Amino acid sequence: MSKRHLLALFSNFDEAEAVVKELRKIRIQGFNAEKDMIVKSPIEHPEVEGFLGDKPVRVQWFTLGGALAGGLLAFFLISGSQANFFAQLKGGKPIVPFPPNFVLTYEMFILGGVYISVLGFLICAGLPARRSPLYSAKVSEDQIGILVQADESASSTLKSIFTKHQALEIQEEAGK
Amino acid sequence: MKDIREDIAWAKINKDVLKSLENPRKLYWVILLIAIAMVGVAVGCEIYQYNTGMGVSYKNNTHVWGLYIATFIFWIGMSHSGTLLSAILHLMHADWRKPIYRFAEAMTTFSLMTAGLFVAVHLGRVWQIYYALPYPNGRMVWPNFQSPLLWDAMAIFTYLSSSILFLYVGMIPDLAICRDNMNPGWRKKLYTALSLGWEGTDRQWRNFRVTYLTIACFLIPLAVSVHSIVASDFAMSQQPGWHITSFPPYFVAGALYSGCAAIITLFIILRYVFKFEEYMTLPILKKIVRLTFAIAMVWTYLNLIEYASVWYGHEQAAKDVLIQKATGPYAPFWWMMNFLGSIVPLTLFFKRFQTHIPLLFAVSLLLNMGMWLERWMIVAPTFSHGYYPWTWDHDQWPSLIQWGIVFGSFGWFTLLFMVFCKVFPSVSMYEVKEMVYHRSQATKKLEATAKLAAAGLNAEKGGAH
Amino acid sequence: MSVSNLLENWSDFRHTHPVDDVPHNPYKWAMSIDLDACSGCNACSVACYAENNLPVVGKEKYSHGHSMHWMRIERYWDEDLGTEGGRDFPDQGAQFLPMMCQQCEAAPCETVCPVGATNHTPDGINSQIYNRCVGSRYCEANCPYKVRYFNWYDYPTTDNVWPAEMNQQLNPDVTVRGKGVMEKCTFCIQRVTVAKNNAKNEGRLVHDGDVQTACQQACPTSAITFGNLVDPESRVHKQWQAQQVELAKDEQAKDKEEGGSGLRGYRIFEELRPYPSVMYLERVRESAV
Repeated sequence: MSKRHLLALFSNFDEAEAVVKELRKIRIQGFNAEKDMIVKSPIEHPEVEGFLGDKPVRVQWFTLGGALAGGLLAFFLISGSQANFFAQLKGGKPIVPFPPNFVLTYEMFILGGVYISVLGFLICAGLPARRSPLYSAKVSEDQIGILVQADESASSTLKSIFTKHQALEIQEEAGK
Repeated sequence: MKDIREDIAWAKINKDVLKSLENPRKLYWVILLIAIAMVGVAVGCEIYQYNTGMGVSYKNNTHVWGLYIATFIFWIGMSHSGTLLSAILHLMHADWRKPIYRFAEAMTTFSLMTAGLFVAVHLGRVWQIYYALPYPNGRMVWPNFQSPLLWDAMAIFTYLSSSILFLYVGMIPDLAICRDNMNPGWRKKLYTALSLGWEGTDRQWRNFRVTYLTIACFLIPLAVSVHSIVASDFAMSQQPGWHITSFPPYFVAGALYSGCAAIITLFIILRYVFKFEEYMTLPILKKIVRLTFAIAMVWTYLNLIEYASVWYGHEQAAKDVLIQKATGPYAPFWWMMNFLGSIVPLTLFFKRFQTHIPLLFAVSLLLNMGMWLERWMIVAPTFSHGYYPWTWDHDQWPSLIQWGIVFGSFGWFTLLFMVFCKVFPSVSMYEVKEMVYHRSQATKKLEATAKLAAAGLNAEKGGAH
Repeated sequence: MSVSNLLENWSDFRHTHPVDDVPHNPYKWAMSIDLDACSGCNACSVACYAENNLPVVGKEKYSHGHSMHWMRIERYWDEDLGTEGGRDFPDQGAQFLPMMCQQCEAAPCETVCPVGATNHTPDGINSQIYNRCVGSRYCEANCPYKVRYFNWYDYPTTDNVWPAEMNQQLNPDVTVRGKGVMEKCTFCIQRVTVAKNNAKNEGRLVHDGDVQTACQQACPTSAITFGNLVDPESRVHKQWQAQQVELAKDEQAKDKEEGGSGLRGYRIFEELRPYPSVMYLERVRESAV
């Protein structure tokens, strides 16, 4: 049987939460609540994360790596270039002075941290993302969407769950 | 009165903010043209200076720096507003920043871009500005990493690029809203491309939240260090009146001060032009005004500390420079700076002025004028009355070329900001929704607990009977 | 750039300067100027103009402060106009101070150039690399003596900077500088280089007197002495020694003595610790005689 997407829109988080709980309990062939259900919301919502459970967010590992790499790269780039072939004296200071090198190491530590965090965000969040087959502009306005993917046979069961919890709209992918 | 009405419909938030992106009225085009004309003045002055030599600025061997450096520092200072609102207030969970931080962030980015122009304009050989970049070359020559000016270059590059990234990443959900609500055209294509396919999934929001927090945590030490480094241009030199340890915090305080005053100005303008009264509310304005007042007092304190440390110190040259500032040729400007920076903000102390919009508009402009004068009064008097008496020059004033370029920089900033306001949403829609949602939840919880408490009391009373 | 080079020479690269235990070898160019002999004739200043292709900026630019005199004669007067035994006229009885780049061993200008256009040579001269200069003017901002001069205009293309026939006396050993470049006294490094080359060809070091700076050569009273400070036979070394002035000190031992030392030698702004290489011999005042 072919898989089909369904998108249901709800007007508040409580109803969405109830739907998610039910979808987790239900046993339908070809539907796995972990993989085939995506919750979309107009704002970030700790309660959504709460009822969806903890998922690891790896962005900060990128940050750590990027910041350390940035700092080390800066220090060795700067010291290495100061200690070059000419190794020129300036102002009676040592050729590889620590205070100025520290300032720049600090700046590049931050630069590396920020850049690699953004990269990490894009990778971890999967952006740029391919658009879902079903989407409603209401999701970015004021409604919470739940997108499920299941066999055609399961769609009536799913729709009944949605309507039980006052879904404002149910979209269905056109048959193939 | 509450910072924001808790029953605003989210659909209304979208509608109100997206309305600001509609085709502009005639007045917008008039002001934009004026801004472009101002930029034209600056460009003309710079072309003349580029072709003839820096001497047309009337800088000389004693006064080697002038308004370009002073205005450079002014623009960098103004850029701290965005970071203050986005990052510092975010970490402090002050959610009243949510309706206003977007345009403040934009202000940061454009201030930094304007400041960068001044670095270029100030150099004698602008066409070789790339020498300041660390790139491998056949002559094995690298920039001098000991120089505070070079730290400036690195720090400003870091700050500008990080601010742009922060502004953009923070805007992705809003760009998705714009994408969803635009008719086909160049705007829809732009927002579709920039929103990177954002759909508000749980995975996207989780990572977004962590990233935003992480970058905010980095941006705060970055902003502090950037302006400290700019202060180091002076503090790390030997000149009397500059070689003061309190310069880095003094400059950072001045920067936050400038930035807050500019936020008030732009707040009032945007509130009026885009009719954002529901979002840029008077209670929020009051909070910004109070914050500005607090920072003004911090700045005043650091200013007085600078004078006191010179006065009680043993360096005669520094004392002479201070006396020069108060009594010499720059005295009217110095006294005006002290008045505008320390006395005028006292009006912000009084409750009846804290929401008086015309007064606040005028005061915020005056405060920024005071801050610009502060930067000039740091640069000029030390040169005019340095260590070496033979080199004293008490009669040097900037030429029209310098004033022209300074004037034009305001036009450049205005141009950039006006274009931003019509292409990108200047109020963060998703964050305002969050603010409304969380506050209404908090109110509900409060009412629920109050009801329970009242019920409990009644039960007690009933029981006692 | 090599990290291995960095790690091998780590202790050398961490060494500050100047320190007595790492003296200059074999040359340290220094100068001594006897203010008592100086008559303020300006011959040194003119010679410097001729030797180093300095542009004559003209009255208007000079009044704006755009002068280019690498060697300048400063005039000072006591505050005694109209007093008993003092001056009768404002210009009477000036004291002259020839001031040029002090070639500081810990030069405040060197650390602050963003592109590294000014550095310290091993023989103790503060070098200015015209090609590298982008004109940020931080070096002049940081100089306590303000002895650096910026090309505020493009003098080689300006009229009457070297009026006709005077352009024939331009020194081919020295470049001309375009607009936007910082310049200053170089201790006539072009002459020093020639002397060093000649000496090297003959397999010896430069002897005292082999090289004279233009200002020293032109001075009619021989007030300027220039030479190698670490050469014990050189006149400048003997003068510094006689005056008990040491290069790497920010306060000389003789100045700490009770009642002063009676020695005339001093360095300007020594207490700011740039360690200048020019010693001045104080003018003998009538009151002291």
